[in-house]
Amino acid sequence: MTGHEPVDPEEPLILIVDAAGGPRIAALNEAAEAAGLAVQDLLADARAKAAALQVHRADPVADDAALRRLALWATRYTPTVSPWGEAEGADGLFLDVTGAAHLFGGEARLLADLAARLDRFGLPARLAIAETAGAAWALARFHPAAPVILPAGAEAQALAPLPIAALRLAGDTRTTLRRLGFKQIGSLMDNPRAPFAARFAAELLRRLDQALGRTAEPLVPVVAPPVYHSLRYLIEPIVTQAAVVAVATRLMKDLVHALVRDGVGARILRLSLYRVDGEVALIDIGLTLPTRSAEHVARLIDLKLERIAETVEFGFGFEALGLAVTAAARIEPMQTDAAAVGEAAHPERCAALIDNLRQRLGPRRVRQLKPVASHIPERAEVACMAADEAWPEPDESRPRPLFLLPQAEPADVIAEVPEGPPQRFRWRGEIHGVVHAQGPERIAGEWWRSRTPQPTRDYYLVEDAAGHRFWLYREGLYGRETNAARWFVHGLFA
Amino acid sequence: MPSFVANRPRNRAEIVHELRRLMAWDGVTETRALPFGLPALDAHLPQGGLTCGALHEAAPEAPGDLPAAFGFIVAIAATMLARVPPSAPVLFVTAPGALAGTPSGHGFNRFGLDPARVILVEAANDRQALWAMEEALRSAAPAAVVGAVGRLDFRASQRLHFAALESARPLLLLRPPGMPSVAVTRWHIAAARASPDRFGLIGGPCWRVTLERCRNGRPGQWLVEFDHASHRFSLAAALADPTFSRVSHPALPRKRGKEREELFRKRENEDFSRDRKPCLRGDRARAG
Repeated sequence: MTGHEPVDPEEPLILIVDAAGGPRIAALNEAAEAAGLAVQDLLADARAKAAALQVHRADPVADDAALRRLALWATRYTPTVSPWGEAEGADGLFLDVTGAAHLFGGEARLLADLAARLDRFGLPARLAIAETAGAAWALARFHPAAPVILPAGAEAQALAPLPIAALRLAGDTRTTLRRLGFKQIGSLMDNPRAPFAARFAAELLRRLDQALGRTAEPLVPVVAPPVYHSLRYLIEPIVTQAAVVAVATRLMKDLVHALVRDGVGARILRLSLYRVDGEVALIDIGLTLPTRSAEHVARLIDLKLERIAETVEFGFGFEALGLAVTAAARIEPMQTDAAAVGEAAHPERCAALIDNLRQRLGPRRVRQLKPVASHIPERAEVACMAADEAWPEPDESRPRPLFLLPQAEPADVIAEVPEGPPQRFRWRGEIHGVVHAQGPERIAGEWWRSRTPQPTRDYYLVEDAAGHRFWLYREGLYGRETNAARWFVHGLFA
Repeated sequence: MPSFVANRPRNRAEIVHELRRLMAWDGVTETRALPFGLPALDAHLPQGGLTCGALHEAAPEAPGDLPAAFGFIVAIAATMLARVPPSAPVLFVTAPGALAGTPSGHGFNRFGLDPARVILVEAANDRQALWAMEEALRSAAPAAVVGAVGRLDFRASQRLHFAALESARPLLLLRPPGMPSVAVTRWHIAAARASPDRFGLIGGPCWRVTLERCRNGRPGQWLVEFDHASHRFSLAAALADPTFSRVSHPALPRKRGKEREELFRKRENEDFSRDRKPCLRGDRARAG
């Protein structure tokens, strides 16, 4: 759900997703339910039924992230917590409380504690404890008197009266079963297995067996993101840049083992400098390629400290330093071939050079060129932080200058006829006689980009008597767009 | 030098080669060189081309020739890059005000220099530009480094030349004329009017290229064109440009046989003594 607009919980509220036949309801609140709406209704029908309907778009990615956060929180009860996947509805958690319940005073107390905490979060929940994950899921969803604690071995009796939907089956399997007249799980258990195995995919019996504990169901536990952080307290405060770099090198060496173990390298690092008087200076270092090299990180910190020397106040010195990897990325293990070391190491050497330059000069000062699909020359490329796009083949019939002026500069032009090539022009106070002019290359404004129409430009490549070459353009078509066309110098050829 | 005595070279060519080796800055002989593909021009350069691990300078003759001088450098970088592995980038380091505008990717593309391999570094001042160029050369990551700076003193140029020498990467520097430096070659570039191609269109760029100074080589002046389609240098027909015939050609006078060889040697010695002087000054400054 988008958290930007305020929502009134008393009024009907629905979340919609795009589906066949138009947007449909994905979730709704109690007020909407009371108004007679249900999940899977069309939005148009819902609007007809409920007057003041609050409609928001469902955001499955954010839902997933929120569920993951809740799962991480639930590891306070047990280390094995598994968020529900697509088949389970992706709206709950399995907690494997085997051997953990006694820490909270038994299963009933644990369940009550969990319910109370979730209630405080504003999350209404249905809870159940059973021997199998499948049974617990079915009871939590469909038992009329949740929370339930099911004693071991009672799965069959407990599940028998529940509807088929309690088995976590795919939609078409459910539909077929309903058509055949199977409404409750009990009716499946009473009948012989062989016809089911012949008629349905293995899923049906697997789900039934999982719920009854006849076959194992492995859970995938949620894993907390690893933390790469090291901290050192110093006996004497340090006051020099060299000492800071030396300590940072040792901090990075502390982290290397963990990074190697997880097969990752640091992409963004944060160095925290704790000053004696309580101030904390933070230094962020970004890298082009993930790295585990303490020497490289130390050099970057050194260069960055040099650049921001005036903003970092050493004062009476730093008494503690912390280094944290705030973003990590996988480093693909590479085969080291003795013969091809020079070749293989090349991209890393380039990345290291770019990192060094960025730390010392500032990140915006080191850039690469990326082509942009546009006819307007000043828009046809962009300098950005990283680019690996292929450039098109140059078109000889449409020459482009080596230098583009940052802004087209007006020029006074004398032309024989208004729509003809320039004969003489004055630019930056100098008069150039045109010996040779080539053009025009007509470039129309890109009307789909802006509402106000852009005038058409006629570009000329002109050469003056000394051999200097200029790229001039006339703005506006005579008669149609303007009566007094203006001339500009836009670029310089070599 | 015992090794020198032990295998004493016999014939004249070997002696010359050995002397050249000893005369080089630190005894390293750089074998790779980039020929222009123009016999008339390459004959003036020590190894038949531009030495790879060295500092080369180009200066515009007039302020208006700045794009021409930069174009000449880009053309050299483009032909140089065509010979190295395609992943190696070329680094353009510019100090503020050193260029006439922003170098354009489509412009590079037209010179046969793949813009995807270009890394642009815009330094805030000359000091930063010098640091960035040295850092790039020492890392040996780029295939070539191109710099455009305003001021550069002799010591700085020495530092840069050594960095280029050690990494065996060329440093092509665009700078204002008339400053001392240790550059192996120093060029003066002026724009020249190109002869229109057979369709009457303006063809590739044309430069009046003056090799003002060249260590172990000879100065000269040529009218050079660069072809956009084949990305090759060519000599323009001198008669095509009326301005060219007015330029006094500093090439050797028309003499034959022994006399000509004498002149060659004299000029080479002159060049050499001129080269060494600033170096000695630099050494003394370091010693003091």
